Amino acid sequence: MARLVIDPVTRIEGHMRCEAVVADGKVKDAYSSCTMWRGIEVIMKGRDPREAWIFVQRLCGVCTTVHAIASIRAVEDALKIKVPRNADLIRNLIIGNQCVQDHVIHFYHLHALDWVDVVSALKADPAKTSELAKSISSWHNNSATYFKAVQDKLKAFVERGQLGIFSNGYWGHPAYKLPPEANLLAVAHYLEALDWQREVIKMMAILGAKNPHPQTFLVGGMAIPIDPESQNAINAHTIAALNKYADMGIEFVEKVYIPDLIAIASFYKDWTKYGGNSNFLACGEYPEATGKLWLPAGVIKNKNLKEIYPLDHKKVMEYITRSYYTYSKGDKVGLHPWDGETTPNYTGPKPPYEYLNVDGKYSWGKAPRYEELPMEVGPLARVLVAYASGHKEVKEVTDMVMKKLGIGLNDMFSTLGRTAARGVIALVTAYKIKDFISELAANIKKGDYTIANTEKWDPKTWPQEAKGVGWHDAPRGALSHYIVIKNKKIENYQMVVPSTWNLSPRDHKGVRGPVEEALIGTPVADPKQPLELLRTIHSFDPCMACGMHVIEVKEE
Amino acid sequence: MEIGVIGVGNILMQDEGVGPKVVEILKSSYKFEPEIEIIDGGTLGLDLLPYIEKYKKVIIVDVVDFGKEPGFIKVLKGEEIPPYLKTKLSAHHVGVQDLLEVARLLGVMPEELVLVGIQPQSIELGLDLTPILIGKLNELVNEILLILNKWGVKCVLLSHQR
Repeated sequence: MARLVIDPVTRIEGHMRCEAVVADGKVKDAYSSCTMWRGIEVIMKGRDPREAWIFVQRLCGVCTTVHAIASIRAVEDALKIKVPRNADLIRNLIIGNQCVQDHVIHFYHLHALDWVDVVSALKADPAKTSELAKSISSWHNNSATYFKAVQDKLKAFVERGQLGIFSNGYWGHPAYKLPPEANLLAVAHYLEALDWQREVIKMMAILGAKNPHPQTFLVGGMAIPIDPESQNAINAHTIAALNKYADMGIEFVEKVYIPDLIAIASFYKDWTKYGGNSNFLACGEYPEATGKLWLPAGVIKNKNLKEIYPLDHKKVMEYITRSYYTYSKGDKVGLHPWDGETTPNYTGPKPPYEYLNVDGKYSWGKAPRYEELPMEVGPLARVLVAYASGHKEVKEVTDMVMKKLGIGLNDMFSTLGRTAARGVIALVTAYKIKDFISELAANIKKGDYTIANTEKWDPKTWPQEAKGVGWHDAPRGALSHYIVIKNKKIENYQMVVPSTWNLSPRDHKGVRGPVEEALIGTPVADPKQPLELLRTIHSFDPCMACGMHVIEVKEE
Repeated sequence: MEIGVIGVGNILMQDEGVGPKVVEILKSSYKFEPEIEIIDGGTLGLDLLPYIEKYKKVIIVDVVDFGKEPGFIKVLKGEEIPPYLKTKLSAHHVGVQDLLEVARLLGVMPEELVLVGIQPQSIELGLDLTPILIGKLNELVNEILLILNKWGVKCVLLSHQR
């Protein structure tokens, strides 16, 4: 039978490519580029602002809710709509649930195999793995029999010659430092996390009516009724189910993710020396009843944790000097997203090409800057801003993790710090979800069933022109949607996504983006197997499938 | 319900949206006995795993690059869908193949799984299918109805007359 080559067409919102210049076993320079044009902004023009979220949430499979949230917040900001507390609580639950699930998936299924050698796990002694497991956690799956079964399963996979999802790893690479027993433990939890994630996300299905692509978002609130008397609304059963999934989240993060993170990181403490950045931006998240955000917003400049600057969206400018776009006022100026333009101007090499033309424009990503500075966004930014602002829960968990690893706050400015920060956020968020559920339950008990504010639903109530910003500190970092409404329709719609910040190319001054900067100085044992670079790139949880290209410079 | 039909794809990228489009047609124009579940899988991800393991029989509708002319339709069964073997997995870009590979790894594959694939003409940004694919929608829907028939499901075309 003739063999068909099958390649499902990509539905990725943009591919990432990274080129690194390596000399003397270290990265001397780096360029990160998005190789696909994302022009969602263009098709939003002229649409009804109330339905914008339905379109933008289709951008990506995993990030579906995050764009919906940012979009409805942008419209609510523009039209000055105050959302009822219950709607904020349900949004908080959706956001929190997704954050916890996402961080676990990221750690085990995207990032762990940069540190864990799957093939080495075959050599492990299951009895010793069991001892190790018992020494770091009270998680129930910890017997030698259990680890033997996992090992057998893995063996069967390898013997079939099909590593499947484990294929294309750099197995046996000298930069892998874990003993076989720790590798087996991590592989076991890799599989358990796959099982866990499909259960825990069911909270989303309850509150979003559907997953992926929840359907209950609404400008002004949520479109899910609260009614203790109805089977088809949020009632006592729903609250019980929410609690069940919340507990499932806490248990896994507390007993599996965090102990694994600490156990693995303790073998890689040299990674506190690489992969750091100096400037951080967090937009804050989880509105509280007081009107404040539970995780604070703020900006850190030049690693100075003594001064946290308030976040002001007006200070965000996007540059396209080195991006495949053109601005009507020239390519050197920065534009605030409300005035943002999305006019493509591809000047790169004709594909297929070997290297990017890094002297000119080289990315489909714009270069967002805050007061002209590149900003890292994501869990590390969230943790640093919260820690420096004296946030109790974040400080406690961060201190616990740092103490167990024997590292200090300055060590957090690194790849290891970024990966640890993701665990910190997952744990504090998993706990916080319980508070949101209790508050929702208490409101229902009081007879408060309000879920939407529809005063401004009718476009007749809108001003001729309105502008809004919707911030959402998504799992990957600060996400913002900017909307300009004119004559009841969308006049301009711009999105600055976390990966736009982190993977930004150089700007008008030639300053590197956060990932580019973080890669400088990273050791590379074998340029043909750039495992070390993937560690730092993956630690940012980039939104793009990672194509890594290394240019080797041989010093004569 | 023992049978699920999942249409996947990105409705923002022209022919990429053919899966969700087929779902829309099946939902609005047909009645099935016994009842089946028809799911708009959207831009996919591991989040679809619960749907894969929930049913005994699953049909996935998606665009596939067969290297053939646009509109070319082919039905692939279980093992004909090759496992994931590409670049490093990013949890955020799980395609059909990755999803099935994870299902295999976890041992939750349905008894029967078929992929009904169609070659796209264009996957540039845009909300509408290309005319070639619009012209092929009936054929694509028929392929699905045929499979459902074989599985013992009666498919009744609804009348939209008022």
